[in-house]
Amino acid sequence: MPAVVVTNLVKEFRRFKRREGLAGAFKDLFQRNYQALRAVDGVSFTIEAGERIGYIGPNGAGKSTTIKMLTGILTPTSGEIAALGLSPHRQRKEYVRRIGVVFGQRTQLWWDLAVIESLKLLLQIYEVPKAEGAARLAKLTELLALDEFLHTPVRKLSLGQRMRADLAASLLHGPEMLFLDEPTIGLDLVAKDAIRALLKRVNDELGTTILLTTHDLRDIEALAERVMVIDGGKIVYDGSLDKLRDEAGEEASAEIELLEPASLPELQRALPQVRFTQENPLHLRAVFSKRAIPAAELLSRLVGSLKVADIALPEPSIEEVIRRIYEKTGKSAMVAAKTAAGAAATSPAAGDAPRGRAR
Amino acid sequence: MNRNGCKLMRALKIYLALFAQMLKVRLSYRGDFIADLFATAFGGLASLFFVLLFFVPIGDLAGWKKDEILLIVGLSMMSYGLFATVSWNLFEFGDRYIIEGRFDRVLLRPISTWAQILCDQFRIPVLAETVIGVGVVAHSVTNLGLDWSALEWAFVALTVVCGALLYVFVFSILASASFHFEDRVGIAPPVFNVIPFGRWPQEIFPWPIQALLRWVIPFGFVAYYPGTALLGRTGLAGLAIAAPLVTLAFGLLAAFCWRLGVRKYESTGS
Repeated sequence: MPAVVVTNLVKEFRRFKRREGLAGAFKDLFQRNYQALRAVDGVSFTIEAGERIGYIGPNGAGKSTTIKMLTGILTPTSGEIAALGLSPHRQRKEYVRRIGVVFGQRTQLWWDLAVIESLKLLLQIYEVPKAEGAARLAKLTELLALDEFLHTPVRKLSLGQRMRADLAASLLHGPEMLFLDEPTIGLDLVAKDAIRALLKRVNDELGTTILLTTHDLRDIEALAERVMVIDGGKIVYDGSLDKLRDEAGEEASAEIELLEPASLPELQRALPQVRFTQENPLHLRAVFSKRAIPAAELLSRLVGSLKVADIALPEPSIEEVIRRIYEKTGKSAMVAAKTAAGAAATSPAAGDAPRGRAR
Repeated sequence: MNRNGCKLMRALKIYLALFAQMLKVRLSYRGDFIADLFATAFGGLASLFFVLLFFVPIGDLAGWKKDEILLIVGLSMMSYGLFATVSWNLFEFGDRYIIEGRFDRVLLRPISTWAQILCDQFRIPVLAETVIGVGVVAHSVTNLGLDWSALEWAFVALTVVCGALLYVFVFSILASASFHFEDRVGIAPPVFNVIPFGRWPQEIFPWPIQALLRWVIPFGFVAYYPGTALLGRTGLAGLAIAAPLVTLAFGLLAAFCWRLGVRKYESTGS
């Protein structure tokens, strides 16, 4: 039996549209204009117990709204959710006892309490049997290295520490499913790695089902076997990470900084499978298909023939991946054309794309 | 039945643990604690002083002796003090929990959302008002030469508890409006200002205010109607006995409004 079955899920928000200016504000007092906003628009999917799923999409795509419905925080406008055989918002108390939730943007702990007191209070709230609770607390303290700040009030923790404490809090009652909304946001690489390792371990050892949203494709690479992409409230891709990479990640680009100017036509002749553009004499951009030429080969040939100062291989951002999915599926030619134009206009160095560097 | 009893005990245990932790937090802010204690004591004494001052020139008021009115004032102070310990979050509910989105966290815990709101922030120093109330009631009972049996004292205790609950329920209903209307201040402040009206003999008010305090914002039931029964004033005895029923009715209404609000909750953007 699947752990979660979502059918035709819709969430509509009614947003009050304000008029401009003082006169407008007065009018608003008496007559308000509302606008219906479909944050999630007919989403259906199934999650098997023990899966690790990455749920990605651009800002405002409907990720958080979906998670909030899956965790029972929001009541769906229409559609059905059956999670662990329960309806999250109707059987809230029974349901939340069996899930763990982490919001990267906001702590679930009590601001003024020391970490250990927060955790002990949660053990009481979830009515975890004493011996079991103590054992789990000890294990999590060790795994997440909570020792150093166990007696510090939550408000005084660093972001990385807070995240570890929040993770401990979400696992304390031994949940069957774990929902994480941007668990690595704002963390440094070491902290990100620690959190990914823990999540993987929890999934491997305890069989905990994991669904996480993120903007960092490395989270997805490290954790998710399956990826769901949402955009405009609709699921535009649902499948394995490998397939997503095949579909979207074929095209890659490299940013090359040179010590001496190079001749573009010559380069183009030597590597016809690569499309070169030049921003200035010392900065090249290469767009290539990984199938036509592997990145390693391209790099070695570039380094061999040019005086290279620095080469960066920017990972495609989630926005770009989605654009490519659109292009592939041909779902909406107009959207694809529009986003492609938008992407071309932005400078390659800008944006939050994580970069792989080779020197 | 037995199982339900167990469930209630378990829930109470959890809320007590929550309460104890939050109490510790409040006590750790020592400056706040002391300032609040003085402010409450001063406020309580000031309102008492106002009542006393009022009687210096006129003596009786609408057939009520000074000590009779003090009895009602004392009763309502006791209820108010109990209510004020948990009222903080009810007044700030729209701002703290709805607009700032803290309610998400509340919904993720397997216990009552409403109880969490009441337990999450409270003030202990405001109990000074209850203590003053006890003194005022004891004083007026002595001065009036009332000879109360255990039954009357039990009725006083019931009245005080029901009165506190009635305040809690009324302001819970107002707080639950925040689920529907995103306003920072809400509609609680004007209703809060109605509280003192419930401390006076209702006869001195024109009929619309009397009706308001009886049927709409029923603060008359906190101390006035039970007080008339305790003082043996006839005519309104029926209403005195109705006080616990009114509290119960408002409790049910509050539960209904709260439930309706939680379903409407929209959370914040991210």
